[in-house]
Amino acid sequence: MTPTPQPLRSARIEVADAGAADELFQANGWTDGLPVVPPTEERVRAALAAAGLAPEAVIGVEPVRGLAITAEKVAVNSVMAGCLPEYLPVVVAAVEAMCDEAYLLHGSSASTGGSAPLLIVNGPVRARLGMHAGHNALANGSRANATIGRAVRLVQINLLGCLPGEMDKSTLGHPGKYSFCLAEDEEDSPWTPLARERGVPPGRSAVTVMAAESPRQVMNEWTDDPAHLAETFAAEIRANMLGYSIWPGNYALVIPKQPREVFVAAGWGKREIREYVFRSARVRRADWRIHGKGALVDRGDPEQEYAALRSPDDLLVVAAGGPAGGFAAVIPPWLGNRSYAVTREVKE
Amino acid sequence: MIVLSPVPDAPPDAARMAAPLESLEGRRVALLDNGKFNVAPFLDCVEELLRSGYGVREVARRRKANQNAPAPAPLVAELAGYDAVISAVGD
Repeated sequence: MTPTPQPLRSARIEVADAGAADELFQANGWTDGLPVVPPTEERVRAALAAAGLAPEAVIGVEPVRGLAITAEKVAVNSVMAGCLPEYLPVVVAAVEAMCDEAYLLHGSSASTGGSAPLLIVNGPVRARLGMHAGHNALANGSRANATIGRAVRLVQINLLGCLPGEMDKSTLGHPGKYSFCLAEDEEDSPWTPLARERGVPPGRSAVTVMAAESPRQVMNEWTDDPAHLAETFAAEIRANMLGYSIWPGNYALVIPKQPREVFVAAGWGKREIREYVFRSARVRRADWRIHGKGALVDRGDPEQEYAALRSPDDLLVVAAGGPAGGFAAVIPPWLGNRSYAVTREVKE
Repeated sequence: MIVLSPVPDAPPDAARMAAPLESLEGRRVALLDNGKFNVAPFLDCVEELLRSGYGVREVARRRKANQNAPAPAPLVAELAGYDAVISAVGD
C-alpha cells in the first residue's frame, strides 16, 4: 500500500504560469532580485524525498528571535534558488550550522557590516552534485555551487526577514550575498581537507560556514620560497585588520594550484601555513595611523599588539581554484571575535 | 499552477508595545549602552536632558558586553523594572 504523503503546510498560491509566479514573488520581496524557479508541491516534495526529511522537521532555530526553520520551508527556498533535489542535504547542513549559537546568525545577518555566509563544502557530495573547485572557484563554477549558495540567501530573506533596510542593515554588502559557495579541490591537493581538520571523519561530507566579507585577491608568482607566499597572505590580513576590522577570529585562505605547488615542493602543509600566518598577521595599534585612523590610536596604548588569529587553527585553509595564476584569496570575517565558523556534516 | 509560499505562514508573535508614559516627571529611566564607541557621550547628553528638562527621579546607566547579541536575560529582567528604557546604538 502506498503510504500517504505527509502534508505540506505552506500556503498555496494560484498563479497563471511560471512568469506570473516570478512576478508575484518579486513584488512580494521574496527573491534576491533574480528570477526564481516556481516552488510547486511536486518540486518541493522531490527535494524533501531526496533529503529523507519530513516537511515539519526543524532544521534549526534562529536563537535570538526563536524562529524555527523547517525542512519544508528550506526546500521551498532551495527550489526557488534553482537547486536540484539532491542539493537539499547540503543546504540543510549549511542552515544547521548557521543556527549554531557560535555563528551568531541574527547579528551577522543584520549588521551594517554586510557579511554573507561563506559555505565551504568537503567530501564525496562534491563530485556527486557536480560541484566545481577549479577555475572561477569563488564565482560561477557550477549549478550546484551557485544554487546552494543562493538557497541560503533566500532562507535568510524569506524565513529571517533579512531584507535590505529592514532586518538587513548592511551599509554596502557584497556580491557574495547572492551566492558564496566554495568546494575544496581535495583530489588535486595532498593536504588534509578542511572538514577533516575540523573533526569530520574520513569519507563523510560536510559544510563549513563562516560569516564573511568579500574575498581579497593577492598575487605573488615571483618566488619559490613558501615563507614569501605566506607573508603575502599575512600582509593582506594585516591590511584588512587596519582597513576594516582589527578583531581576531576565523579567516579563510583559498590557495589555488600554482602557489600550492610552491608550498608542497617545500614540504609545507596547511599546518605550516597556519603557524606562519598566526605569527606574522599582527599589527600595532599605532599602525592605524597609516590607514587614516590616527584618532583611534591614542585611545589606547599605541604599542599594543593585535593578532588576526586567536590560534593557528583559526585560519581555514582551502585548496581551490584554477591551475594557473599566482593568485590566492584572503576572506576576512565579518567580526572575528563575535561570529565563528561552524562545520556540520551533510546527511547523505 | 499552484506554488508554495516561501515565507512563514503564521506571523511570528509580535512584541507588544508598552503603553506610552504621559510624563517622565518622577519616573525611573534606564539607559542601555550597547558598547559601541559613540554611545556613551550620546547617553551622557540624554541623561543631562532627562534630569534638567524632564524631572525624572532616577537615571540608571547599564551596558551590555556584546553589541552584536541581545542583552542577557538578567539584564533585560532588571531593565523591565524601570518605567522607561532608552537603548542606544552608536556606530
